[in-house]
Amino acid sequence: MSQVRVGELLRTKKVIVCCGAGGVGKTTTAAALSIAAARAGRRVLVLTIDPSRRLAETLGVSRNPTDPVRIPKDRSDAAGITTGTLDAWMLDIKLVSDGAVRRLVKSDADAQRILSNRIYQQVSTMVAGMHEYTAMEALHRLVHAGQYDLVVLDTPPSRNALDFLEAPRRLSGLVDSRAISAFLPRSDSLVARTASRVIEKILGAVFGEEFAHEFVGFIGTFTSIFQSLNVDVNEMRRFLSSDDVAFLLVSSPAPAALTEASFFHDKTRELALPFRAFVLNRSHATDAGRPMPSAPFGASAAVLTGLPKLTRLAETEQLAAVRDLTLLGELQKRAGEGATAIALPELPQGADDVVTLVSVADALAAS
Amino acid sequence: MLITGKGGVGRSVMTAALAKLAAKRGKRVLVTEVGDEGDDYSPLARHWNRERLPQHPELIEPNIHGAVLLARTGQELFLKSVLRSGTIARAALGSDALRRLLSAGPSFREMGVFFQLLSALRQKTGPNPTHELILIDMPATGHTLSLTGLPETLLKLVPGGPIAAALKEGQTYLNDPKLASAWIVTLPETLPVSECLELIEGLKKTRMPVGGVVVNRMPADPFTAEEREGLGPLVDQHGWLGREAFKKPLVAHRELARLRSHTALPIFVMPELPHEGLIAAMAGLLDVATPLPLPTGGA
Repeated sequence: MSQVRVGELLRTKKVIVCCGAGGVGKTTTAAALSIAAARAGRRVLVLTIDPSRRLAETLGVSRNPTDPVRIPKDRSDAAGITTGTLDAWMLDIKLVSDGAVRRLVKSDADAQRILSNRIYQQVSTMVAGMHEYTAMEALHRLVHAGQYDLVVLDTPPSRNALDFLEAPRRLSGLVDSRAISAFLPRSDSLVARTASRVIEKILGAVFGEEFAHEFVGFIGTFTSIFQSLNVDVNEMRRFLSSDDVAFLLVSSPAPAALTEASFFHDKTRELALPFRAFVLNRSHATDAGRPMPSAPFGASAAVLTGLPKLTRLAETEQLAAVRDLTLLGELQKRAGEGATAIALPELPQGADDVVTLVSVADALAAS
Repeated sequence: MLITGKGGVGRSVMTAALAKLAAKRGKRVLVTEVGDEGDDYSPLARHWNRERLPQHPELIEPNIHGAVLLARTGQELFLKSVLRSGTIARAALGSDALRRLLSAGPSFREMGVFFQLLSALRQKTGPNPTHELILIDMPATGHTLSLTGLPETLLKLVPGGPIAAALKEGQTYLNDPKLASAWIVTLPETLPVSECLELIEGLKKTRMPVGGVVVNRMPADPFTAEEREGLGPLVDQHGWLGREAFKKPLVAHRELARLRSHTALPIFVMPELPHEGLIAAMAGLLDVATPLPLPTGGA
């Protein structure tokens, strides 16, 4: 495989998945990638969960629409999008999981029963892995609908970049039919019946009889959904392994970044997922070529007294530039064949307006 | 006392500094963090030269006990107290089905952590308290709110039984400003300040009393107004190195002012401190801060 280029990925792939720990600028990177692809003439959707309000404002999109929405014309003009299009969808977990219930359950009455169950109402937003599952489900559906050339997924915020890959498996572990059947009273084997009585007794002691009873009832109604869920997780895995997909890891130049990147890289290999690039965000690597302050001809007294202070600050920034450049080199080595590592500079504070996003988009397209 | 804030703002440093300061003043402290079963790294434990904090409170320094709050430990404690038998509780947790349910199910993880916290609180208010102050290094924003909001959410679902009783008991501790308070650590930057303001609102909604905000790493401004005026245009024109650091104090003051204009809570400003001796320096500054961000009783 020849050298991978991010600019090439966003012109050719059907799906780009942006992973990364919370607070590294993942959402902004995903938005910039989408703008870059739309500027290159593609029909693009950016899919994000719980973004900072600012990004929704920047793109001019409301927070919880039920379907993807086209970004307003003034924004897409400002972003220099001409032949391409850019839609955005800020996913609402509740809406998406209600939609999934309606699709998966055969009859309307059954669906209504589940949707109005108070346990479901809590569970649908609280079950660990539900965010990730919801995102994967929506991604899968939208890609197959065929109205987009590229879907960029900003994975849900989490402490760990790997959560996105692990969560659906945890969820399907919970709903594994063997685990579930232990809660169901109607089993043929004596052992299973005894086990389920013991569990119901424990649940009763812990939650109170009323809740335990309702809970077992809920699990019963939900079994069919859980089973189809299980199939979906495997199918999604297969889909995400295809060559139409590219996984990107966004990280900040913190000391732990390299360790995290290595873990992530190993994990994607283990799961046979197409890892394509490290994006070292908020890096000073690109500063390495900037000049040191020097007294201009005819400088004022204030400039002359201030200059040594500025030089000290500049020396610190230069050290940071060298450090980040070294880190980038190590990431490139780690990426090996078939993947790459690029650096993006830190954005000016609070400047996540369209113009700034376009400058990041251009940097991505050219790298 | 809950110490919360988004990742990377210096939350665990603040927790460690508060623990050491309170211990120096003769308080018996329990310092804890919310952990995960598979964690192999704890930023808080590092301040005591450990990789992890112990699962049950252990003396880690004179006057300071340390422990990690793990969902599973709390679930086991709870099941033991409800089922009144360690054997059945262990057998129940050994059951594959129940274990999966507890690790992935709705709020069961938070419930485990919550219960472990509750048993520490009970101990503290009991006849022979080992600790006078409990410090909790809370996980990032969303998780903090799901923990402080847990009683209200779950009580809607499980109005009776032992869980409800435990939740109500915990609620009376945590919602009493004389006993408990949350402190938010943030940075004088745009997004951290916005998130801090959202967290203040969120904590209010979960009825968790907020003690105040610590604005960490406030950059010093070495330049006079004249020097700024003279250098400003040159820095932009030449794209000199040092530009970011030159502009940082301006942004920091603007963001601090924004925070002040949006909340009446006490705000403590911590300067940027060198990495060497960070905890001691921070504890020293907290020592002279008035009013000191340490509650008199409480968690």
